[in-house]
This record gives sequence, structure tokens and C-alpha cells, in this order.
Amino acid sequence: MSGELAMRTTAELQYGPGGQRDAEGPFTPAQLARLDEALTLSSRETGLTFSVYVGEFVAPARAHAEALFEQLDDSSVLLAVSPGQRVLHIVTGPESAQRLPNRACALAALAMRASFANGDLVGGLVTGLRMLADSAGSR
Amino acid sequence: MTVVQTVLVFVGIPAGIIALLFLAVYGRSLVRQPNRYRPGRPWTFGPSWYVPHPEAVLRPTSGPATTTAVGGASGEW
Repeated sequence: MSGELAMRTTAELQYGPGGQRDAEGPFTPAQLARLDEALTLSSRETGLTFSVYVGEFVAPARAHAEALFEQLDDSSVLLAVSPGQRVLHIVTGPESAQRLPNRACALAALAMRASFANGDLVGGLVTGLRMLADSAGSR
Repeated sequence: MTVVQTVLVFVGIPAGIIALLFLAVYGRSLVRQPNRYRPGRPWTFGPSWYVPHPEAVLRPTSGPATTTAVGGASGEW
């Protein structure tokens, strides 16, 4: 399984609803590959659909993150990060909240904040995905 | 040796060697920065939204799905 993931190119990375793609995105191909692997592995392991949003929030930030989340489905988990505003939001839905209590989300948010404060954006996202996947357990 | 020559030999050459070593060590990361985010700097990239590969998802959604936010967590750094 790991070999299959390692061979994937970043061109196959999926973009969610409303996700715009710049000519030059914020991440290098190696970083995108790490993010892709973490997203795919944690979603496959837990049966929840994890997605990552990186971009500005329109104030109020929490309402914006929840509005983004409402375009997903009940078993989704959204990790929304605004590096410019230095804010992160984790949003869970009716189904995913049963697997991921707010306490688990807060712990993941704490670990992500530590990485983000060091300037490691992808490292923080990967750490958050792993922690959330570990908390949710396998399906 | 004139003063200019002395200065060139005893200051110019060591400075040149130091500059060469500096470039050899830090040159690559100066040219291409692997991590472009620095806390406190403005974020100039447009929003992007990444989702997992469809085959990794248990229940692939068909068409536009809607749901409501129930819980979660927030943080600032």
C-alpha cells in the first residue's frame, strides 16, 4: 500500500468544492505529496472524509469555516487554516462528531498550533490529520 | 606591498573564503525556499481546498452534499 501511495503524483491531488487553484500554489510538490498521503491514509483508515482548507477567512472566521463545511457531507471533518490571519478551525459534522469529540479536536488543534507557530504549515496539517485519525480509530 | 595590496590580501582573501563557505552552506535555501510560510508574514496565495482521493472514501458523495457543523475546535498562533 505504501508503495502505491509513494508513486502517486501531485497532479492527482483532488481539489474540493470552491477550492481555487493558483498557477503557483502555496506548497511544493514534495509538501503536496505529504499532505495527499496524510489525507488519503487518515480517510481510508477512519472512514471519515478529511479535507484541508488553506486560505483567508471572511470575518467572522468560525462562521466562514462552518459555511465551508456545510458543502461537505455528514461524515466529513474539515481542517481550515488561515496562515495570514493565524487562525485554525476544525469542524465536525453530525456523524464525525460522534467519533471525534471536541476534546480530541482541541488536542489536535493544540499540536497544529505548535507546528504553525514554527512556520511548519504542512507538518502541522499532517500532525493534525494523524492525531484526528488516531482519535477516531478505525471504522 | 602598498597599503591597498595589504588590505586586499589580509582582508579581501579571508572575506572571499568566508563568502564562498556561506554560499556553499546556505546558498540553496536562499535561492529556493522549501517552506514559504513565515509566521507574521502576509499570506498572498489564493484559497485552496484539498480532499482525499475518491477511492479512499467509504461513501463517495454524488452531487452537491449539504450538512451542518456540529462540533470542532479553534486555535490561534
